[in-house]
Amino acid sequence: MGQRPALVSWADHHRKAASQSLQQLIAEPVQSFLTCLAVGVALALPAVLWAFLQNVEVVAGNIQTSARFTLLLEQDVSLETAQLMAAELETRSDIELVEAIDRRDALARFAEEVGFSELVDNLHNNPLPNSLQLHPGTSLTVSELDDLADALVALSGVEQVVFDTQWQARLQAAITASQRLTLGVGVLMVLGAVLILGNTVRLGIEARREEITVIKLIGGGDGFARRPLLYAGLWSGSAGGFFGAVLVALLFWFVSPPAERLFDLYGLDRRFIGLGLPGMLILTAVGGLAGLVSAWSTALIHLRRAQPR
Amino acid sequence: MINFERVSKRYEHRDALRDVSVEIAAGEMVFLTGHSGAGKSTMLRLLMLLDRASSGRLLVNGNDVATIRGARIAKYRQDFGIVFQDHRLLFDRSIFDNVALPLEIAGFHPRDIGRRVRAALDKVGLLGRESANPVVLSGGEQQRVGIARAVVARPKILVADEPTGNLDPGLSAEIMGLFDAFHRVGVTVIVASHDLALISRLRHRIITLKEGRLIGGVGS
Ligand SMILES: Nc1ncnc2c1ncn2[C@@H]1O[C@H](COP(=O)(O)OP(=O)(O)O)[C@@H](O)[C@H]1O
Ligand SMILES: [Mg+2]
Repeated sequence: MGQRPALVSWADHHRKAASQSLQQLIAEPVQSFLTCLAVGVALALPAVLWAFLQNVEVVAGNIQTSARFTLLLEQDVSLETAQLMAAELETRSDIELVEAIDRRDALARFAEEVGFSELVDNLHNNPLPNSLQLHPGTSLTVSELDDLADALVALSGVEQVVFDTQWQARLQAAITASQRLTLGVGVLMVLGAVLILGNTVRLGIEARREEITVIKLIGGGDGFARRPLLYAGLWSGSAGGFFGAVLVALLFWFVSPPAERLFDLYGLDRRFIGLGLPGMLILTAVGGLAGLVSAWSTALIHLRRAQPR
Repeated sequence: MINFERVSKRYEHRDALRDVSVEIAAGEMVFLTGHSGAGKSTMLRLLMLLDRASSGRLLVNGNDVATIRGARIAKYRQDFGIVFQDHRLLFDRSIFDNVALPLEIAGFHPRDIGRRVRAALDKVGLLGRESANPVVLSGGEQQRVGIARAVVARPKILVADEPTGNLDPGLSAEIMGLFDAFHRVGVTVIVASHDLALISRLRHRIITLKEGRLIGGVGS
């Protein structure tokens, strides 16, 4: 009877503080909704960037594996020599497949592509050389591709190597920069969420100043006074994170059909990568954590000021 | 039980208490009186650790309260029941929840809370009103809820600062009667009031302050 072990009553009060603060949020539906929405928007932005980058990386990775060199040979290199070169090159470990292309086939294909077949038919001399189409090993890095390109240029009979490894290096750098940007935006937006929630918690303290003062006067500790505030922060933050996840899901639902068509055009059999259930849970948890942190720090500052008189 | 030893309290420009020495025994009921500004509230504020003495010592149960700091202040206050002039009820919750607050702080089981809250409301004559909001009560009834909240956790010491300040004479006598009843069951009661006519009728020691100095009621 009477007072019970501290842990049991502590758990009791947690349960009560949790449900009371939830009820208070529900009692102010418009205000709570707007706060959660603001937090949701803040958290959605980095989540969208992150998921977008996941997709870019997948596409970039696939383009890299489908990379190929075109070796334009000197005009006097015959098709037979080209075929010999192809067979020899194929023995290299960093090359997967080499195909010799007849200059006549190349011209025909060119004519077809540009749609000037008649004009091309009238050409006396085929301006195109014989060429080799070369597929490098799929696991090569950008710098290994560069090395390979250098080696190919040095071969006798090779006029020009057509392969821009630079754009891949640029893409890689762009992805790395974007990842940093996403991280930076993420940190800023989580900070923004903490501030939005902090302001809400501060208003909550303002509204409950009398309650907090009375609690302190009749022997309640800071922990007792703070508990409902922490739960209010946790609930608004989690709800905000969940709102953010829903916003992102809606956005991706809107974006994924054209994105998947784009994948198709690249010959990629891939689905658009959204947040997924784990991502949504993580976003909700990040929101909840931001809420806790902000409630904790706001309560620390403002409860000190609420000294009873 | 409560021992003021040469206590002074100086605010920026004035002395609220000057060299006050007085002892209050366990189970005693005392009145603290004097004109407005005499230092009554200051004495109670020092006792509740809402402020600290500028000099002198305040002993409670033999312990110097100057040593009580930080988280232990809350624990210390739980030994007191406190009644305010403006009752300080919370209007965002029922009468029941107002009275239950000290029990929740002390960590009572919900079942015991219900029992004790009803017992406390019964003592102040408000049983059956627990689900109402205190805003619908009259001033006298609100003060009685305030008293129920102060006594619900069965504190050893009951402290009241001008508990009848906002009430008419009839209600004031009723409220003082309640304090007297708690004193008779063994609670130490300290009531600050400037209403000499009212407190003279209850025959308890009257400690009189004037401009921060004790001028009467030192010995019992
Ligand atoms: N926080 C404070 N700051 C400055 N002066 C104060 C403060 N509290 C009380 N005083 C002064 O101390 C004196 C005693 O005040 P108080 O104890 O409230 O008197 P009483 O309760 O007897 O009316 C008064 O002159 C009052 O103005
Ligand atoms: Mg006063």
